[in-house]
Amino acid sequence: MSMTDAQILERYAREPAPLLPVLHAFHDRDGYLSEEALRVVADGLRIPIADLFGTVTFYHHFSRKPGGLHGKRVCTGPVCCRKGARELARSLGAETMPCSGRCDDPIPVLEGHTTLIGNTVSDLVHKPSPLPAPNPGGYQECVFAGIREEGRAGLAGYRKGGGYRALEKALAENDPEGLIRTVTESKLAGRGGAGFPTGRKWQAVRDAPGEPKTIICNADEGEPGCFKDRAIMDYDPHALIEGMALAAFATGATRGFIYLRYEYPETNDILAAAIGEAEAAGYLGDHFKLYLRRGAGAYICGEEGSLINSLEGKHPFPRNRPPFPVTHGFEDKPTVVNNVETLVSVPPILRHGAAWYRDLGLGEHAGTKIISLSGDVARPGNYEAPFGLPLHTLLHDWAGGPAVEGGTIQAVTMAGLSGGFLAGDDLNVTLDEPCIRARGSFLGAGGIMVFDSSRDMMAIAAEAMHFFAEESCGKCFPCRIGTQRLTERLTGAAGPRDKTAWLDEVADLGSTMKAVSACGLGIAAPLITESLVRYFPERIEQHCAS
Amino acid sequence: MSNPLKDMEKPDVIFCIGTNMTEAHPVAATRIKKALRNGAKLITADPRRIRLAKMADIYLPLRVGSDTALLLGMAHVIAREGLIDKAFMDARTTGGEAFLEHVKQFTPQWAESICGVPAEKIEQAAVLYGKAEKGAIFYTLGITEHICGVDNVQSLCNLVLMTGNVGREGTGINPMRGQNNIQGAGDSGAIPNNYVGFQPVEDPANQAKFAEAYGRTVDLERGITKVTALDLAGDKIQAMLIDGENTVVTDPDRKHCEKALRALEHLVVIDIFRNETTEFADVVLPATSWGETEGHFTNTERRIQRIRAAVPPAGQSKPDWWIINEIARRIGFQGFDFESARDVFNELCELSATYKGINWDIAEKGQHQWPIPYEGHPGTPRLHEEGFKNGRGVFKIINYRDPAEVVSEAFPIWLTTGRRLESYHSRTQTGRAHGIDYLLPEEVLEVHPDDVASWGLTDGGTARMSSSRGHVDIKVQANPRSPRGTVFASFCFNDTPVNILTGGGYDPVTHTAELKVCPVAVTPVSGSS
Amino acid sequence: MTKNPTEFSLTLDGKTVNFTPGETLYEVAQRHQKDIPTLCYDPRLESFGGCRLCVVRLEGAKNPVASCTTRAEAGMVVHTSTPDIETHRKTLLEMVLSENRELEVSPLRGYASQELTELSERYQARTGRFEGKQSGESRIDDTNPFILRDYDLCISCYRCVRVCAEEEGDYAISVMNRGFETQITTEFGGLLKDSDCTFCGQCVQTCPTGALADKKAMRYSETPGEIIKTRSICTYCGVGCSVDIMTKGEQIVGLQPAMDGPANEGALCIKGQFAYDFVQHEDRLTTPLVRGDDGELHEATWEEALDKAADGFKRVMRIHGRHAVYGVASGRTPIEGDYMMQRFIRAGFGTNYIDNCSRA
Repeated sequence: MSMTDAQILERYAREPAPLLPVLHAFHDRDGYLSEEALRVVADGLRIPIADLFGTVTFYHHFSRKPGGLHGKRVCTGPVCCRKGARELARSLGAETMPCSGRCDDPIPVLEGHTTLIGNTVSDLVHKPSPLPAPNPGGYQECVFAGIREEGRAGLAGYRKGGGYRALEKALAENDPEGLIRTVTESKLAGRGGAGFPTGRKWQAVRDAPGEPKTIICNADEGEPGCFKDRAIMDYDPHALIEGMALAAFATGATRGFIYLRYEYPETNDILAAAIGEAEAAGYLGDHFKLYLRRGAGAYICGEEGSLINSLEGKHPFPRNRPPFPVTHGFEDKPTVVNNVETLVSVPPILRHGAAWYRDLGLGEHAGTKIISLSGDVARPGNYEAPFGLPLHTLLHDWAGGPAVEGGTIQAVTMAGLSGGFLAGDDLNVTLDEPCIRARGSFLGAGGIMVFDSSRDMMAIAAEAMHFFAEESCGKCFPCRIGTQRLTERLTGAAGPRDKTAWLDEVADLGSTMKAVSACGLGIAAPLITESLVRYFPERIEQHCAS
Repeated sequence: MSNPLKDMEKPDVIFCIGTNMTEAHPVAATRIKKALRNGAKLITADPRRIRLAKMADIYLPLRVGSDTALLLGMAHVIAREGLIDKAFMDARTTGGEAFLEHVKQFTPQWAESICGVPAEKIEQAAVLYGKAEKGAIFYTLGITEHICGVDNVQSLCNLVLMTGNVGREGTGINPMRGQNNIQGAGDSGAIPNNYVGFQPVEDPANQAKFAEAYGRTVDLERGITKVTALDLAGDKIQAMLIDGENTVVTDPDRKHCEKALRALEHLVVIDIFRNETTEFADVVLPATSWGETEGHFTNTERRIQRIRAAVPPAGQSKPDWWIINEIARRIGFQGFDFESARDVFNELCELSATYKGINWDIAEKGQHQWPIPYEGHPGTPRLHEEGFKNGRGVFKIINYRDPAEVVSEAFPIWLTTGRRLESYHSRTQTGRAHGIDYLLPEEVLEVHPDDVASWGLTDGGTARMSSSRGHVDIKVQANPRSPRGTVFASFCFNDTPVNILTGGGYDPVTHTAELKVCPVAVTPVSGSS
Repeated sequence: MTKNPTEFSLTLDGKTVNFTPGETLYEVAQRHQKDIPTLCYDPRLESFGGCRLCVVRLEGAKNPVASCTTRAEAGMVVHTSTPDIETHRKTLLEMVLSENRELEVSPLRGYASQELTELSERYQARTGRFEGKQSGESRIDDTNPFILRDYDLCISCYRCVRVCAEEEGDYAISVMNRGFETQITTEFGGLLKDSDCTFCGQCVQTCPTGALADKKAMRYSETPGEIIKTRSICTYCGVGCSVDIMTKGEQIVGLQPAMDGPANEGALCIKGQFAYDFVQHEDRLTTPLVRGDDGELHEATWEEALDKAADGFKRVMRIHGRHAVYGVASGRTPIEGDYMMQRFIRAGFGTNYIDNCSRA
């Protein structure tokens, strides 16, 4: 029996952050969001109807046409496009969607709440996402240490491998300050890309006045070429729950959200089941109530201000900072926003100690980073690398080098797309922020896409900028206009034909975007053009001449 | 208003009763919306599901004309729950004990039986207002246009006095004045009981003061109200000078009003347009309009503000003060030698207790809210901060009374009247503004959709609405804003003269007509669609 | 207790200045006559930080910061105009101009309609740079008589959306889609009249490009003459909103809210904003009228009419006594008219037979 309007509202209206689940419930029930449904939601949640309408149009996946939910959507991320995603979409008569985080598999196609994979229409099958391979370098792991254990996704399997031991110990010792101290000493920092020290963030929330406090797990893994959080959540969901429960204990938070990207429907089910188990076992409950919230297709919702606005049912523009979420987060109360990988790192750190974790890194560097490696390499996948590992080692020794025999790696992206390209001599970097930032890029969330010399970097850059333009929220001028103008210049749709003028405009747009954009999207997007100009000047010459 | 407009953003609980502020005072309502944005709670009492009702945290849908019952029930709960401000009552009020004793009998259940609002809602509203740190009450004609208008206002005062919600930022009892200068009209002494600045005519000292100022002794007895004057037209009253009022359309009981004007020996009307009232006049004198005239309006928060001429007068039109001055001179009255609006305003200020501290030049920037007792005084944005003008706030013992007319077999439906956002009074102005018709082309009778069906009406069809005084034909609009059994129309459109029906009674003290309650019958007009 | 002055001071373009806690850098700079450009800023609205024109250099911060959203803190060292900052401002303006159809718009479109034009002149921003797709789609289908929705000129500053929500509280308009496809919309993309819009005109008056425009005023765009503004008070309702009546020669061409009006602080409603043209309507009474022997009203001179008016009152007073005359003052005329009416009755007839229309 499908739920009535009233039942849907009744089910969610008393929970915090009700808008997204209410919209999904109507979307799932009706197959689209009808005008009548939106009016019911607006009345029920007391949201102005114009605002609600505008907000719904912001999300890629909310369909306003009957049956829209069930239409196929083909991933056209940078890697999938190289595999023929556009042709597949045409053959299927399907819509496209931005990178949906399965770059280590054939092309993913979303059909309702099922992910199919395949490079041609006849290949499409439903399969679980790939499990990370054992560490090829033999390095000790933190996040992936237990992920390959049999039955790990279930409570019993997780507990068998030592799961929830850290939480039980923390509760028994009842020393939240000490816990935070350990996290601080481990030098764990935000693994979503921003790299803010986790211990300091937790301490700030613990110290901030205002109740209730909130832990938000940012599982809106929207960065093209990033799929590490999916692997963690698919195979080790309780580790995330334990990490969040520890964060809650440390900070005094009593409620939490996992904000999961829309494109991971199977992950949604896995998390829901795990939360149910953890509640039944008493790890979650009134002391810390954890809610699963599903996004609806918007890259910007991975930005923490947008994410919080999205949860609150507002238009998902980024927020002005300061104030920061640690003091004014969800519902303006102190809030931790941490990435999946960050939170999952905490239980092992507490079990093995801060020094253990620090020492996992190479040389000066502390800890590990999951790299989502995809594109033209023999063995794409998620690898937990010690910080400081040479990129060359990852590409050639771990991942088997170029996918095509005798091919050469022309360029890689960094931070998914946000770090732009590295090429030439700069492929000799080590995987740590100081080294990569010195090359004008950054490691970020750890997505690396590899392109061999058969690839047209101009086309890839144009696609990348098009992605940023489509995902720009539209709040700030430099990003809204700049991503559009850069896209037009990269595709040749508009802009000067004279190379000097072309370079001049592209440089001016990029420089202003980097300097004054309101959030990371507009600041990062010009790294694409900057690095293209730096590494592939002859390609630009050719582009302007054609 | 006891408090300034900007205070409207400050309360933590707002109680709106008998005010359709988002339509009648839209800009004031924006301040309430801001207060709500800042976390204030709103209680709205209104028979109709108006915008303020939709915005409300607690909506009290009372039957028309039952306000005192609701307010007595609320007072009962506030007293019972111990939410009274004892210190305030002791220090600044009188009659409190008797009042608290009096309200013991008026349980919310009793109130529900009269006003139809569920007792639990009355409880909730009373507790919310009673607990407010800063509670503010706003009302308009929905409170005053009843035979018990004074009782309604007094009932609100009782709530204010028992909770101490007055004399502070974000509190108070705040009537929203309707017309642009209706406050100024009262301030100026254009009322039968007071000279300019609310100086009672019955006080011999005032009589002496004005005898000296005007060179003529004025009666010590207060005058009669306009309502009485119209009743006496053709009898004791034989001449009228009416300035800028379309009495025929805006007053209740239109037929009575027309008869009264026709009975006068001499009627002089000053206006900017010919209208239904000028058609009864012996002499019609063209006044300059807003936009052509210099002078002042005093607004609902007692702020005196300059209006200025932007264009020359239409044709030969003249300012109102000039016209009246000329008539007086020609009658042969002494002392009518005013040469400018400035002269008039300066005399007004000089003789007024409340405008004493200003004059034409000082009023230039509109900074002052009266009272301004002496020159250099900054004005008084908030009344009753130090104390009440007449000493202590007096609790009044109020009992519920039925409206003058109640529904019956012949007239089983409640009609209530009011304003619409897009039109102003009888539309002499808005009806002549380009574009307004796009939004409001004609008057409609708002009928609950279920009533439309059960009374055999059609949405968009025509209905005949009749009271004991007459009938009008009006277009029906199915509209869930109206509760079942109650219909709504405005009196804005002369071709749908709803005030033919109204006028069942008047408040005995103020002579304000019961325009908000009128039992009617509504029947379909056959052949309409 | 007085605070140490250094606790609330910062350095602004080399000078130590004080600030009030909670003030933004933009507000502090405004107080010190720094002319920082903005397009998304309206002092009545919550800071938004969209246009980025107001960025300033804050020592210690990696990137310039938006002065409108950055709160002043003790010890900050702020530069409001550096060569870098000015370059970014000019580039931003050139970007904005590249999405727009035209630059010169009639000032009758709205109170803030010249902001983009003025800034582009000030910065000598070049049009033709960064050319490409235009943003926004005009709603020529919305034939309401008040508000032109010329979204070709929209630069997505959202002042209209924000003023509708924050100042007017109507939430009638919102933002649809995202990025360059952003479009100002109403519920389900419909017409204003089918939305929660109350036609208060606030969106029109805050629009910095004239994309939203006063259709009624625009009828006089081609009328010769300079626009003169005369400060007055709205003639509708007791709130007493301050307005500026706009005239060209002897023609009222429109009306704008006064942002410094004490009662309204820039707000108006549909009546105040759009219903002013009764003043110069052809139906106005332009001459006195006197009822003739035929029972009809006829045009008369002031002399005739005033004499007839006075004679009538004299006659009634003579025959029926002074208590037979009654005066009704208006709640709509200026207070000078009301005062004269009561003076006429009291000083003339010695009675208190005077009232006004407040009982209706």
